[in-house]
Amino acid sequence: MGRSGEEDWGRNLQFFIGTDVGGTFTDLWVAGDDGRARVFKAPTTKDVIGGVIDAITLAAASYEVSFESFCAQIARFGHGTTVGLNALLTGSAARTFVLTTKGFGDTLEIGRLRRQTSGMNELEMTDAYFRNRHPPLVPRSHVIEFDERIDATGKIVVPLDVSQAGRMLEALRDERPEAIAVCTLFSVVNPAHELKLRDLVNDVLPDAFVSLSHEISPSVGEYSRMSTTVANAALGPIAGRYLARLEEILRKAGMKVPILMMTCSGGVLPTKLLNDRPVFAVFSGPAAGVKGSQAIGELIGSDNILTTDIGGTSFDVGVIVDRQPITRAEIALAGADMKVRSIDVDSIGAGGGSIASVDRGELRVGPRSAGAEPGPACYARGGTEPTATDADLVLGVLDPDNFIGGRMRLDVEAAQKAIHDKIAKPLGMTVNEAAWGIRKVLDSRMADLLRRMTLERGYNPLDFALLANGGAGPSHAWVLSAELGLRGFVVPAAATAQSAFGTANCDLGYVAERPVYVRVPPRGEPAPDRLQAIGEAMRAARDEAQALLRTAGANEDIKVEQSVSVRFRGQSHHLDVPFVGGLFDSAAYQRVVAAFQQQYESLFGGGASFSQAGYEILSIQASAAVRLTPPSITGSGDQLVRRGSRKVVFDDPTHAVDTAIFQTLFPPPGAEVQGPCIIEFPGQSVVVPPGARASADRFGNLHVTQELQ
Amino acid sequence: MSGSLNPVIFEVIRNRLIAITEEMRVALQSVSGSPTVTEASDFFTGLFTRDGAVASMGFQVAFHAPVSGAFIRHIMSRPGMVVRKGDMFIGNDPYIAALHQNDVQMVAPIFVDDRVIAWAAVEAHETDVGGMDFASWCPKAREVHQEGLRIPCVKLVDGGTMRDDVLEMIVSASRLPALLGLDIRAFIATLNVATDRISELAQRYGFDVINDAMQRVITSSEVRMRARLAELPDGEFHAQDFLEHDGHSNVLYKIDVRISKRADTLTLDFGNSSPQSPGFINATRSGLMGAVAGSILPTLGYDMPWNQGCLAPIEVVAPDGLICTAQFPAPVGSATVEAIWVTANAIMLGLNKMLATAPDYQYRAQGLHAGAMATFNLGGVNQFGEPFGLHLMDPIAAGSAAFPGKDGVNAGGPITSPVSCIADVERNEQVAPLFYFHRKLAADTGGAGRFRGGVSAEVSFTLGGIEQAQALIMTHGVEVPNSQGLSGGWPGATIRQTFGRGAVSNGRLHNGSWETFGPKPGLMLMTNRDVFAVSWQGGGGYGDPLERDPEAVAKDVREGLVGADAAKSVYGVVVNDGLDLEATEKERAKVRLDRVGGAFRSDPERIFQGAPLLSLGDSLGLAKDRRGWHVITKVGYILCTGSTRWRSGAVSVSWRRLPDQFGILLHEDLAATAYYCPASGALLSVDFHFKDAAPPDDAILDLAVLEGCLDGQSRIH
Repeated sequence: MGRSGEEDWGRNLQFFIGTDVGGTFTDLWVAGDDGRARVFKAPTTKDVIGGVIDAITLAAASYEVSFESFCAQIARFGHGTTVGLNALLTGSAARTFVLTTKGFGDTLEIGRLRRQTSGMNELEMTDAYFRNRHPPLVPRSHVIEFDERIDATGKIVVPLDVSQAGRMLEALRDERPEAIAVCTLFSVVNPAHELKLRDLVNDVLPDAFVSLSHEISPSVGEYSRMSTTVANAALGPIAGRYLARLEEILRKAGMKVPILMMTCSGGVLPTKLLNDRPVFAVFSGPAAGVKGSQAIGELIGSDNILTTDIGGTSFDVGVIVDRQPITRAEIALAGADMKVRSIDVDSIGAGGGSIASVDRGELRVGPRSAGAEPGPACYARGGTEPTATDADLVLGVLDPDNFIGGRMRLDVEAAQKAIHDKIAKPLGMTVNEAAWGIRKVLDSRMADLLRRMTLERGYNPLDFALLANGGAGPSHAWVLSAELGLRGFVVPAAATAQSAFGTANCDLGYVAERPVYVRVPPRGEPAPDRLQAIGEAMRAARDEAQALLRTAGANEDIKVEQSVSVRFRGQSHHLDVPFVGGLFDSAAYQRVVAAFQQQYESLFGGGASFSQAGYEILSIQASAAVRLTPPSITGSGDQLVRRGSRKVVFDDPTHAVDTAIFQTLFPPPGAEVQGPCIIEFPGQSVVVPPGARASADRFGNLHVTQELQ
Repeated sequence: MSGSLNPVIFEVIRNRLIAITEEMRVALQSVSGSPTVTEASDFFTGLFTRDGAVASMGFQVAFHAPVSGAFIRHIMSRPGMVVRKGDMFIGNDPYIAALHQNDVQMVAPIFVDDRVIAWAAVEAHETDVGGMDFASWCPKAREVHQEGLRIPCVKLVDGGTMRDDVLEMIVSASRLPALLGLDIRAFIATLNVATDRISELAQRYGFDVINDAMQRVITSSEVRMRARLAELPDGEFHAQDFLEHDGHSNVLYKIDVRISKRADTLTLDFGNSSPQSPGFINATRSGLMGAVAGSILPTLGYDMPWNQGCLAPIEVVAPDGLICTAQFPAPVGSATVEAIWVTANAIMLGLNKMLATAPDYQYRAQGLHAGAMATFNLGGVNQFGEPFGLHLMDPIAAGSAAFPGKDGVNAGGPITSPVSCIADVERNEQVAPLFYFHRKLAADTGGAGRFRGGVSAEVSFTLGGIEQAQALIMTHGVEVPNSQGLSGGWPGATIRQTFGRGAVSNGRLHNGSWETFGPKPGLMLMTNRDVFAVSWQGGGGYGDPLERDPEAVAKDVREGLVGADAAKSVYGVVVNDGLDLEATEKERAKVRLDRVGGAFRSDPERIFQGAPLLSLGDSLGLAKDRRGWHVITKVGYILCTGSTRWRSGAVSVSWRRLPDQFGILLHEDLAATAYYCPASGALLSVDFHFKDAAPPDDAILDLAVLEGCLDGQSRIH
């Protein structure tokens, strides 16, 4: 699709936009309805909003339209962020107080003993000196205990004394709380006291943002429920404020659509629906990355995907099975366990900045990272320790003159010197051998994580397509794919801004949960009233999820999927078993249990299941989604330009191979090149080893196919 | 041997072994039904060489490290025991290889073709394996036959086929057969994971490379442990810990360890420990070796991969028949929380005394964490009408010890099991017949010191949803402050357990008839009108409490961690409405003078002029002049000359009963002695000992070697 001669080219387009606010950069992915997609990056600003506006400004300029016209032409605006998390970590969140049951005010401090070891990496775990890195989310002085108690069956054992509670809240007024988190024992079974406390707070402290635990995190287990509620309350005043301001700026500029915020569980929602539950979006950046990969999977027809992201400090992996990302019920953030249904993204400290060292004759790579400052030795910012990036440079994978699109010149000699002094010399190797060793160790650690995330869950890695994202992903993917025995890998067109891409290519979605505790002895089945309770919980979860999406503007076609959390009696880990149907009767129970057994055996092997233990049903989830048609992308592509060649080390450290170098912004559909070659994009280099070939599909994704050895 | 192994391939395989061990953990925790496994992480997974040396293990309970190796060697040494592909062995006999009978383990040989390349092992604490009392901890047992089922060494899976008859026999012995059955399945799943992964690895790299790599992983940790030992001063370090009540009578037992450090080796001599007891608190030699591993790994091996190599430089000397080397058929059912736990305490205390004398390690020298693991077991019929057994994990939420630069962690738990955690109150009440009145931090339990030990948690509960059940309540550390401090820091409070009969009505506490329990009240009936309330030991403090920043004390008072009474009498800090600095200074001066009997010594020849050459912890230094080596206090007072046996030169005060504010109860045979600087009244050490014996000198440095080292260093400079 040519541009020349079309004066009003940019003005006739509609834009699908995805934005992702990371710690350093704010990414913007935009697709016009001409099918062309682009990526823009602006430095993240302290107020978050500035970075987003800057990125939009860059985009508008590139389409040669004004900021206002661009905004007016926005057809969808997706948004993800890690800012909420940062606010929690740096303590800049709202001044928050916790109201809880008398006798349990130290719940966050005791933290099930999990807080004490949170944030310790695998090397620190054995050293008690590193414990207690994260203080409780709020200090004990911000916790107020109320004389009330509800038991596990929901019976009110000690009624809440409303007038006394009112007086206690009056006394709190001088403390000027901005947010109040209410979490009382067994509020999820009987919310009466939490509801009364909210009324009182609204009366006495009308300006405070209030979160109730049974609404925010309806699950049994007070530590994670309280943490989640506190995080929600503490983020409430901040997240709502910045999103409202951003939306107002864009609306004033002419945008007619709402901001759709990415949630942890992988659906987007209009921000107004998240104003009272910001914690649902606390981990939205990484979730968006996986959703982006899911969208790519749909484009290229892959149902099972291993999505990888190699950044500066970490290697992140998400797993998509049957077109659905694997989720988890709990995540750890700011040293606390949060009960927030989230796309499961696991990570290890392995990235471009991972430091290599020799310790008593042994090579180690990571988890220590040089970060951005001083960064790898080749950044020439004072870093003297060799990193994975230095190794890639020495091996010829990176071009010193064309790093991040030439914005930074890399110092090859500094990289060589660091590797020589710190690795090659002590190990008695050549610099190339040492650099190759660094890459090998790092890649093998990453492959270990990929194996764990598949095999551990009963999946075979061979059934997956490997997607390589992040700055360093596409240059290491060839090794990962070979390690796992895969036939190749895919570099998405938006590999450097996959999270931003994900926010623009995602369905409206929401997961509602309801706890319901049913215990079934061996060979028994639930009593009728228990079956009824399960049915009611399911209906309630379904109603909540559907109602929320209706509020989000959906009318028809709300797709609801249900699942039941089941475990063998006595276990602490459970499985979520899909459940189809409306009625939960005895036959339905048998179906669920049979499905559980099957899922269980596929995970832990034949013979591992043990029905004589009996079962426990813990909760019900209803996941509602409304399809948002993704922007159609037809990569028109720029040229794939040959820019000479250089020597690159692949499998044999003693033999560098003459390798063709190509450069492109978007590879043209159908373009095909033969390895060995490197295809350089701004911000990433796709390594195509000897014997492999790379071809671009019509969406701009590169498929690298390797011969299996 | 392994010299030719490429360093890159080695590192790749090393990481892979760690990943496989982690995968074993996930498999076990996912399938297991025991809260001891899923929450408290009281389990072990490991990969062993073909000779039974542990090459890679998880971060769970470190005590188990040597046990499975001994089991594997036992299997190989059995005449007539054929080890075949697909076999899995089960065992739990403490007189062969187990800490106690509850610790059921399974191991599997991993074959490449027809050769064993490695073994995988898994072990977990099972709540009940039979015996005369519920939970297999039998206070009244006089011999091991009255305790849980002992499985010496049995092939449970034979060439890939489960021997269902044997399985049935084992689970039938338990009061909780379903739970045990589920866990045995978890063991099998765990061993399957290890077998599959190691086989794949061996296929890729070959038998010799994998074998070499596993050996080298071990050598590598041995090199690191030896290097660490070489950096520590030579000498003898002496520590004691005690445990009271053997189930039959309230006798006080001593674990005594003399740690000799020479160059890059360590010898632990337990010869002066008490003889074995008639009750279930004993440990077998297997338990002793567990205690050694459990204390060495986190204290000296904190930054190296945990495996057999860490233990290679360590020699253990202990005659048969001690409380930690009990002989058959002595009962050993509660060994882990009694003799093993206390043995580990003594070793860790001795090692920390050693660290305190080493300039590069002083920053991490500390007292003891969670010196006791109290037991509350409950059995009967639960609110769902099922037979049940609860092993409450909350007691691991004891306090951690202070470091020389920071306070201990509140409810920090033990360091011998780095990833233990406890279940939510709601989870406990949902699945077990409990109803809590509180779970909170317990004031005045943290060991006093310049840096305070972490406070313990405390709980109080009755029964919920049922009328009555059998409770088993037992511990040590009610009359022994096991969580000792360092360098003048006090131990954390002793365990306080009380029982209120008829103290509940309508879910609220009322005045019932309250009894304060001793260490082992044992089995009793508990009803839903009774309350059990318990606080555990706080962590040991570090340094003289009079030197604690008054602001920090005032903050502790504000946050309810230290009472105003204790602030004044223990820390000399006066907090009324706020901190009264002037009154604090006066109070502290008065206490210092009182400590030395009303007058400071000031003879000029006892005051060393100049700076010490080396620090020996918070309060002491090592100085040298023409008269020789001196141990001096912060104000330069010379406590002794020519050796580091300084106690004779200090002012000492002994107690048989401590002021209430310390929260420390002393057994009738136990005494506390504090040592003060005669010239300043500074607290130098607090020691606990049999009432009729003097505390031993605890850090006797080899001054000749030290001199050589210092000379060497000065030549380098």
